Amino acid sequence: MIGMAVVALALIALSAVVQAVALLRKEPRLDPISHWLLGAASALLFATLLLRSIRIGFVAVTNTYESLVFFSAVICAILLALRLTAGKRPFSPLVAFGATIVCLALLMISSSPIAPKDIQPPIPALQSIWLVLHVTLAFIGESFFVVSFVAALTYLGTKSVDRRADMDRLMASSIGIGYPIFTAGALIFGAIWAETAWGRWWGWDPKETWALITWLLYTAFLHTRLVKKLRGRTTAVLALVGFVATVFTYFGVNFLLAGLHSYG
Amino acid sequence: MSLNTLYRFFKSVRLAVVLLLVITVFSVLATLVPQGREEAFYQASYPVAVYRLVTVLHFDRFFSSILFLIPVFLFTLNLAVCTVDRFLRRARSRTPKRYGPDLVHIGLLLLILGSLASVLARQEKNFSVASGDEVTLSKTYSIKLLSMQFLRYENGSPKAWISTVRVFRNGNEEIPTFPIRVNHPLRLPGVAVYQTTWEDKGTLTLKDDQGNEAKGRPGQGLQDGESYWYFSDIIKDGEVLRAAFREYRGNEVVSTRMLATADRIGPYTVTRIESIPMSGLKAVNDPGYLLVIVAVIVLAAGLGLTYFQKKREEKP
Repeated sequence: MIGMAVVALALIALSAVVQAVALLRKEPRLDPISHWLLGAASALLFATLLLRSIRIGFVAVTNTYESLVFFSAVICAILLALRLTAGKRPFSPLVAFGATIVCLALLMISSSPIAPKDIQPPIPALQSIWLVLHVTLAFIGESFFVVSFVAALTYLGTKSVDRRADMDRLMASSIGIGYPIFTAGALIFGAIWAETAWGRWWGWDPKETWALITWLLYTAFLHTRLVKKLRGRTTAVLALVGFVATVFTYFGVNFLLAGLHSYG
Repeated sequence: MSLNTLYRFFKSVRLAVVLLLVITVFSVLATLVPQGREEAFYQASYPVAVYRLVTVLHFDRFFSSILFLIPVFLFTLNLAVCTVDRFLRRARSRTPKRYGPDLVHIGLLLLILGSLASVLARQEKNFSVASGDEVTLSKTYSIKLLSMQFLRYENGSPKAWISTVRVFRNGNEEIPTFPIRVNHPLRLPGVAVYQTTWEDKGTLTLKDDQGNEAKGRPGQGLQDGESYWYFSDIIKDGEVLRAAFREYRGNEVVSTRMLATADRIGPYTVTRIESIPMSGLKAVNDPGYLLVIVAVIVLAAGLGLTYFQKKREEKP
């Protein structure tokens, strides 16, 4: 099972190399294979989780390793979907490359000692459909935030007016899709799970508080952009800070602050 | 300040963004300070100036402090005014009506109200029960623990704690059996019961030479001349239960003993060693429960509606 994840890691690395070569050559067309490599990696990662799920008799998203594999699989799937559905306005190669690098980094962390790979059946508190919805939807939402993060970085790093307009649109649409999914997963289903397991909706655990902080930042992003019609650096910086909060919610809280969510 | 000016001030989206960022920054700072510890902890952990700042500004109990509650109150007011204003404008305008964000805002307001009801009136009671014990939950309901099961996986890690209870309403049997498990609480009108912990409560019965009986629990001890025998635990040795004792002379452990029935310790003979499995349950009465459920449904409907309406508008 680890073997499939390693092959997936190699495919993502290969995809990153193919994309990097195309970017360095400044080819006008997108390369024809990198997204298929990501698609294959995504399928292998989902297969890894499927096999682990069969072994433990539950949906395998209950520890750091499994959540990182799921996160990477979703990012790859989103990159493939964005490329295939881009239509006339092709998906930015720079954003695809940046998101691939983020995905590669996540998968490399999953293969490090900080994410033990032991196959453990879930303890009683984790045996809940609400937990599955909470974790999977939160990561699907965060995967769209990865795209918005790379788009924000590209926006801040370019002077081309056309590219900035493209990045602004991509930032807004990826947060627009990710935000409701993240809200449902991280906050709504998380609270329902907490109530069912411990009899309280919210406990101001550091992980819960940081999930709320992430949500508040993206809420501020949407309100500045959609209601105040703000564009440009302010919203790009907010998207960037929002993603920093997302990463801290996932890694920082686990390793720097004490709390209930030790599995990620 | 006129009512109109106040209305304009509170309907401002800029105010909403500022309050969101203020709550965000304060919350970030609060997660850096461990919450709800004794004052001595903060005194020992931080330099004097930081310790004073933490305690004076109530960063040690930040989420119930004025510093947090005032921005949240202002945000609630801002959200309420925005919701009404937005709704009225939508109703009057001829553009396509998008009520998704309105539903999200209403859901958030209901959530804040539900949380407030929960914070102010929620009652919680923890109890530890053995098989056959009966517990009163409310004026109407009581439960009796019929049996307990502690299931383990092959690797020994816990798989399930199951407390099977009988529910009585005004003394009459209402539900013959209900298995309470983690993630599967018993929900009755006005009260819910959750499985929280599981423990073995050990009891040791001793008799002295005059026939006087004494009972002890792990954590207790007895003096025997210069020795102090500390009763640390009850351990299962095959089918036999043994009481583990440590002999102290001063602060030093000089010997350990594993006693079975009929063994002697000091002036006593062990007559019985028992290990009673106890189930830890928690009864919660949360008046905000229904409001939060309604809020969650409205919020989810609002998010879905916003998404699908936006998608529909994007179509050529």
